[in-house]
Amino acid sequence: MALKGNAAIVGAAQYRPEKYQTAPRMFHLEQVADLASRALADAGLKADDIDGLVINGPQFHEASVFVPAMAAEYLGLNLNFAEVVDLGGCTSVAMVWRAAMAIEMGLCQAVLCVLPARMAPMGPDEDPSWMARAMRFGGHSTAFGAPEAEFDLPYGHMGQNTGYAMIAQRYAAQYGYDPLAMAKIAVDQRSNALANPDAMFFGKPLSAEEVLASKMVADPLHVLEIVMPVAGGAAVIVASKELAAKARHRGAVIKGFGEHLSFKSPTYAADMTRTPIGPAAARAFAMAGLKPADVDAAQIYDCYTITVLLTLEDAGFAPKGEGMRWVREHDLTWRGNFPMNTHGGQLSFGQAGSAGGMSQVIEAFTQISGRAGERQLKRCDTVFVSGTGGVMSEQGALILQGA
Amino acid sequence: MSTNKPMPVPTDISAPFWDGLKRGSLTIPRCNSCGHWIFYPRRHCDKCWSHDVAWQEVSGAGSLYTYTLTRIPTLPDFADEMPQALAVVELDEGVRINTTLVGLAEDEIRVGMRLKPVFDTVHDDGSTLLRFTGVDKTITPRGQAPATEQPATPAPAVTVVKVPVSDEAAMRALVSESFTPWSNEVVVDQALIDEFARLSGDDYWIHTDPDKARKQGPFGGTIAHGALVQVLQSRMKIPLGFEVTGFTNMVNYGSDRLRFPSPVPAGARVQARARVKSVDRMKSGTQLVLEVHTHVVGAERPSVINDLVILYM
Repeated sequence: MALKGNAAIVGAAQYRPEKYQTAPRMFHLEQVADLASRALADAGLKADDIDGLVINGPQFHEASVFVPAMAAEYLGLNLNFAEVVDLGGCTSVAMVWRAAMAIEMGLCQAVLCVLPARMAPMGPDEDPSWMARAMRFGGHSTAFGAPEAEFDLPYGHMGQNTGYAMIAQRYAAQYGYDPLAMAKIAVDQRSNALANPDAMFFGKPLSAEEVLASKMVADPLHVLEIVMPVAGGAAVIVASKELAAKARHRGAVIKGFGEHLSFKSPTYAADMTRTPIGPAAARAFAMAGLKPADVDAAQIYDCYTITVLLTLEDAGFAPKGEGMRWVREHDLTWRGNFPMNTHGGQLSFGQAGSAGGMSQVIEAFTQISGRAGERQLKRCDTVFVSGTGGVMSEQGALILQGA
Repeated sequence: MSTNKPMPVPTDISAPFWDGLKRGSLTIPRCNSCGHWIFYPRRHCDKCWSHDVAWQEVSGAGSLYTYTLTRIPTLPDFADEMPQALAVVELDEGVRINTTLVGLAEDEIRVGMRLKPVFDTVHDDGSTLLRFTGVDKTITPRGQAPATEQPATPAPAVTVVKVPVSDEAAMRALVSESFTPWSNEVVVDQALIDEFARLSGDDYWIHTDPDKARKQGPFGGTIAHGALVQVLQSRMKIPLGFEVTGFTNMVNYGSDRLRFPSPVPAGARVQARARVKSVDRMKSGTQLVLEVHTHVVGAERPSVINDLVILYM
């Protein structure tokens, strides 16, 4: 499959990550409208240029079905393409390539990809305990007949932490483990966040010693190797070449993409340490006619440090099984020889639900359009972006290139 | 056994698996067309999509594919298993199973080690979970005795220093930043909660209606009254390590602070520890504040914090 390079990210908007307790509460429809108009202003396009919408279905507050139609009505959009994406942390990357496909196919000219992730106001008769109930099992379904409800929950297998911990433990048994290299991932990303005033941990330096001294959550993962959930929300506008030419900033052209998934619990992976980003990234690079060494930066989905390590290996940046040595030998900061998660990554920027992954997409666009401020890379034409949902369950890759 | 831990709810598809476990037998489906073993149970082969599958008994022998030890319980209800030894076991037939390891010390656990199944009856309806242990281990089945009949653990022995209340310096020296060792454990089961509901008149459904609490409550089942857990301190012998002597009268003066930071699910075991927070000379005598923390066994967060004020006169 080949792309014509007819679709580019031309505008973006993102709420500053905030603690849930202090963030404003807004209806999701209102967040969508707010983020959409900010992204539109960033792009310098007109509302009636937008004729495509990609939105989240799960966790949308005001509806669980018919979400695109409700959002189109609320925004006043005429859509030739509407899509819901349900791929957890891979959603953002998945949204962008679906939008690009629709544009390449000539279905539409400009697509709003939007993920509201602030909490909605509480209704007068709403019982807050539903939220506690929903949170109790993390992303695990409790529905009758759901395999994970039957075969995971009774044993205490639930949420994300222990799944990632078990992947890390398997990796350690197969390839060895260097806690200091894992801590370095968090530390280098924190250095990046120190140059990003929007990051949750801006102004808060971090050392490897502090990471390793932080509370162990599930062996071998420390709490400072795990993202902090925050309130937020994000939107990007993907537009055709014709519209991109009218946009205010240098667009980030979608040159390649890939997606791969085959399980929800990594227990059922053929090999737990060979993650779905492998085939996804290989496809993306092949489509773009590029190799890992060709990128100027990588924005790698980082719910955990182990996610980053395995993505570096399986996407082809580091040799398999040598990721920890590779991390020790590379400077992952914006000043370094492998700029990665230059906004701080979600570990230091904050993870706004499924919009968290959009922070990586938006950072790629921000760098390509030359607006990254203090952390701006001298040369940034080609960026690799990854998304990861579930427990390394669903992964996607984008290759973005400056227009 | 009454706990709020999630229990498996068998379906028409999976029932033979769970029924097998109750008999101490591990049965899993196998594809007659391609020979692929199937786990978790399905009616089709997840390799070739044939529907010609049949249940077969297997030995349960396998090896440890991976594991983690949790330092924070994945759910408060699992606090009694800390650290949870969550594991993925690969049976010799090739299928992998999410499970937990039992009867193994932390330093005995190794990826790749050989394992054998343990059929663990976890509910008085006979519900049985498939756990695993080392091949050289002997696990005594826990049987079906309800938790209420388990004797409370004995209080730990500790040497006791006598401190005369008149010795101001010695009294003040009791103040400590660190807590005592744990007390004996006490089971807070539904029967006890029901008794307390009758006694106190607080019969709110979150405490007394296990069915409604499971379906509608935020905790997956009933929880104990905070006040109940507070008064259970009387059943817990905290190894304070000191005994104040030489007073004419000792008064429980109440509490400076009482907090219920986390719930105690029905069926949980609780234990307490304490520290002397302050000692002050008052007009009426010597006032000692004992900060008592009651925790669900294994839980990091206390369920009750009580700054108990004791006045020696």
